[in-house]
Amino acid sequence: MATTPYNYSYIFKYIIIGDMGVGKSCLLHQFTEKKFMADCPHTIGVEFGTRIIEVSGQKIKLQIWDTAGQERFRAVTRSYYRGAAGALMVYDITRRSTYNHLSSWLTDARNLTNPNTVIILIGNKADLEAQRDVTYEEAKQFAEENGLLFLEASAKTGENVEDAFLEAAKKIYQNIQDGSLDLNAAESGVQHKPSAPQGGRLTSEPQPQREGCGC
Amino acid sequence: MDQSVAIQETLVEGEYCVIAVQGVLCKGDSRQSRLLGLVRYRLENDVQEHALFLYTHRRMAITGDDVALDQIVPLSKDFMLEEVSPDGELYILGSDVTVQLTTAELRLVFQLPFGSHTRTFLQEVARACPGFDPETRDPEFLWLCRHRCAESEAESPKPREWNSDPGTRSGFAPIGGGRYQSWNARRGLEDVLPRGPGYILLWGGATKEPEFLLAEEVHEGGPVRGPRARGGRRDEALEEADWEMSAGGGSRERDCAGGYNVDSSRPNGRGLLPLDQSSGARCPDKPENSLTRQNRSKAEITDMVRSSTITVSDKAHILSMQKFGLRDTMVRSHLLQKEGEYTYIQNFRFFVGTYNVNGQSPKECLRPWLSSDTKAPDVYCVGFQELDLSKEAFFFHDTPKEEEWFKAVSESLHPDAKYAKVKLIRLVGIMLLLYVKQEHAAYISEVEAETVGTGIMGRMGNKGGVAIRFQLHNTSICVVNSHLAAHTEEYERRNQDYRDICSRMQFSQVDPSLPPLTISKHDVILWLGDLNYRIEELDVEKVKKLVEEKAFHTLYAHDQLKIQVAAKTVFEGFTEGEITFQPTYKYDTGSDNWDTSEKCRAPAWCDRVLWRGKNISQLSYQSHMSLKTSDHKPVSSVFEIGVRVVNEELYRKTLEEIVRSLDKMENANIPSVTLSKREFCFENVKYMQLQTATFTIHNGQVPCEFEFINKPDEETYCKQWLTAKPSRGFLLPDSHVEIELELFVNKATATKLNSGKDTIEDILVLHLHRGKDYFLSVTGNYLPSCFGSPIHTLCYMREPILDLPLKIVNELTLMTVQTADDRSQLEKPMEIPKELWMMVDYLYRNAVQQEDLFQQPGLRPEFEHIRDCLDTGMIDHLCANNHSVAEALLLFLESLPEPVICYSAYHSCLECSGSHTASKQVISTLPTFHKNVFSYLMAFLQELLKNSAKNHLDENILASIFGSLLLRSPAGHRKLDMAEKKKAQEFIHHFLCNPL
Repeated sequence: MATTPYNYSYIFKYIIIGDMGVGKSCLLHQFTEKKFMADCPHTIGVEFGTRIIEVSGQKIKLQIWDTAGQERFRAVTRSYYRGAAGALMVYDITRRSTYNHLSSWLTDARNLTNPNTVIILIGNKADLEAQRDVTYEEAKQFAEENGLLFLEASAKTGENVEDAFLEAAKKIYQNIQDGSLDLNAAESGVQHKPSAPQGGRLTSEPQPQREGCGC
Repeated sequence: MDQSVAIQETLVEGEYCVIAVQGVLCKGDSRQSRLLGLVRYRLENDVQEHALFLYTHRRMAITGDDVALDQIVPLSKDFMLEEVSPDGELYILGSDVTVQLTTAELRLVFQLPFGSHTRTFLQEVARACPGFDPETRDPEFLWLCRHRCAESEAESPKPREWNSDPGTRSGFAPIGGGRYQSWNARRGLEDVLPRGPGYILLWGGATKEPEFLLAEEVHEGGPVRGPRARGGRRDEALEEADWEMSAGGGSRERDCAGGYNVDSSRPNGRGLLPLDQSSGARCPDKPENSLTRQNRSKAEITDMVRSSTITVSDKAHILSMQKFGLRDTMVRSHLLQKEGEYTYIQNFRFFVGTYNVNGQSPKECLRPWLSSDTKAPDVYCVGFQELDLSKEAFFFHDTPKEEEWFKAVSESLHPDAKYAKVKLIRLVGIMLLLYVKQEHAAYISEVEAETVGTGIMGRMGNKGGVAIRFQLHNTSICVVNSHLAAHTEEYERRNQDYRDICSRMQFSQVDPSLPPLTISKHDVILWLGDLNYRIEELDVEKVKKLVEEKAFHTLYAHDQLKIQVAAKTVFEGFTEGEITFQPTYKYDTGSDNWDTSEKCRAPAWCDRVLWRGKNISQLSYQSHMSLKTSDHKPVSSVFEIGVRVVNEELYRKTLEEIVRSLDKMENANIPSVTLSKREFCFENVKYMQLQTATFTIHNGQVPCEFEFINKPDEETYCKQWLTAKPSRGFLLPDSHVEIELELFVNKATATKLNSGKDTIEDILVLHLHRGKDYFLSVTGNYLPSCFGSPIHTLCYMREPILDLPLKIVNELTLMTVQTADDRSQLEKPMEIPKELWMMVDYLYRNAVQQEDLFQQPGLRPEFEHIRDCLDTGMIDHLCANNHSVAEALLLFLESLPEPVICYSAYHSCLECSGSHTASKQVISTLPTFHKNVFSYLMAFLQELLKNSAKNHLDENILASIFGSLLLRSPAGHRKLDMAEKKKAQEFIHHFLCNPL
């Protein structure tokens, strides 16, 4: 009969990638909890968080995978890229090395996700202007050359954090709308939830997909 | 009465009558009753086809015998069933719904009874219409063949066009789209009013032609809900409307066929994931749901929810059951709990009137009764009794008085406002009308009306009650008009009528899974009517005298209703205002004189208004003596009622907060554990020497299932030399488990570690079901050993293996046998591995006479000592039990990556196992070092056989022990073919009993 009002119609899978210590987990925490985690331990593994957002009146559940940034785990974290609709590629504006490594992260992201995966470049720690090591302009240019969305953000102040996740979602939603993202494709990273008839039909909540991990 | 049962009896297996409705087939001036049944047929592959079966019938169809099939109209792609309004006729509110059925061949017009059942029927039909998706195949309707004969027999020979009715007009929004239209109307309130020809207005002023607002169209059109009805259902419906708006793309036809078929009308029109189709099969626990809810009304649940506090752990469990819809339920319950935060009380003026008209038609203007107040009320609840006392009205339930009084009321509503009729309900002579000010129409929802007869036989409609329930903003309101049993002495009967009305009045809910609502489950109840309670124990003249003296207080003491309410036998919880008007019964019609008829009834306050609920204050309670049409005087009461109104902004904020808190809760309920250790270093790992490390998984507050999972492109969760025990398990909140990591290098893994192709390094992924993943890193170093090293490699190692730089060990291990044989480039190798010589020499010196040599197990710690002596070259320190050394020798041979007799020679050896000469021939083809080792071992074994008197060894024993070590099948250990084993023994046997 009617759509259920508070439920979401889509699930988008996101991954957050980038060098160790650029603030990936803090961005996730800020986005899901609206809080800054002051002494965030290194992520050794993969964490995930969810939040429901609204894009063009559609409720969308973001399922965000935050991966370990350490190089030694790279081989393992690669397996989490699969089926991502959006990728947040993060560097630290105060550490040039994290910026220099972007091309390698980008290569992984391009190779391991589908062609329609929306990649957004995020220069984190924008609150540390005094220690800036990467200019906004050069990063912007890098993003443009590679067809990436780009924002500078601060997980500490929360500046642009919300936008970073939302911009990517808007772009993905737009891709769905104009048909360039085929939801039927196995690895679109988007699941569509049809509205349930009144009285409730049961569908199991989709599990985070772990293809390739054999579970 | 559900007449689909009767239809079902005429159907064959596989056919199912989804819903049936009785309607009138209109052709020209003729009207014929037809039973319309929507029949579904399920083909293979879950494909369904539908057809409309039209039956003639006698009486109300109860069994299959009552109906005769007249016609079948398949729901093909050109099928359309749309609502039309009769041309040129004033739309009568609450009247039948006229629908037009069109297919490529025919056009039929039906009138269907007004009400929710018809709505449901139309919805079901719309849902059953095949979409216009070109990919779905056209329905074939092969199953209808078997009905065709029956149909043609019954069918009249007239051409199909007979039914086309020029008196109707089509072209309104069809049923599917119609809903959207009404929704559109609901959203922009101002837009509602004079839309398509289906919408007609009613103006309170009635100065010109009366026009009517088709309020029902708005409120009852399909699954339509109120604005911000409990739990904010409006959003839901708006979303729904959004769907349809974007889906329609302006195509009416599409709307018609696919309007309800959400699948085929997704925003991008590409039919995304059409899961709905299989939904039927996928709701195994729905019955359970409805069962548990069955005995509780929605309001009851609402009350429970309002007063409940859910503990966090409950929530955790609820959320951890990731079922669709639960989240909605949680949001709804939170919204209810926080209702106070986003609603405020706004006063609405209610006019409540009751009038027993004694079967008369309206003869005078009703304004003195309905519009005496200076302010225009927001809501009118007007009740009549004894509308029509004729037998016709009683038996056929049809009366022209309904329309007459409806018009009379509509014309006399307060002139300062425009009103919309919400609902009219009538049971014989008991009628209730509900109007609201036009600007409130958009906030009226969930309108339902019901009747209960308590008259003759306790069931008939000469006495009883009618009621309308609705939702105004966020407050639920029920208005009841009742006419209770007559006669002074029958007050017990009146009490019983009241109780019967209360228990039998049940309103169906929008959500069909919810049980029906009763009167008492409303925030506000307004009860009016001719309750018929009299003044007792006083004679007529005494009463009249007291009335004249206005000694109402003396009269109260004798008023049966006051007495009964005080005794709590009736109207419990209700309040009545003070009566300051003289009894409203019984007068001589047309006058203000008391009844002068033979019966000479005593005056009584028959006509009353009572209420129950919060935030209600009565502004007036009076009778209207100037109206003289009836033997009763009308009574009115004006109330100010506080209604919960939603502050949109606060509502949105509250909703957002709730959604966010649920998000947080969901994140907080992702299982999470702490690990006592995440880095494991295994130093100086040696061949066949177990090393272990343990760590503890401490669980948090959420039960969790953990498992080590495979990394991409790997078949196991860790390297072969590692195991985690246990590798999976389940943890209750706050519990822990110890995991043991065991590292053990055996012959299968040693060679790779020696060669450097593998290292003691691994990452284990500990996965929590529905939770995060933890990476455990394992590092360490392996000390190379002669065990697991190839023969030729060892021959080139002139130094003990552990004295060599790792790089050299790696290189030598990777060297092929062929390279080894080409001695030119390398340092001069030894003839046989020195480690082999050390063991054989030790045995030769100490154990040639040892009883049961090679047949008794060695000692484990001694093996480690022997291995270390061999690998460090400390042969002089070698001091071990003979059996231990013997076993070490066997292990050495077993660990060789390439057996002494190379895999490539295996089959030739078996083939020539019958001949000593041929066997020798095969040996001669082996690589030099292998040949050397073979000869050396045979010489040693022959030496042992010389002492067989002491050591009890014979050729057969030795052949069986060494046969399977020296000759190993390239196929591996998997199949131990007895015949092959026997041949291998035979082969070795030649070399034991013949001189070398």
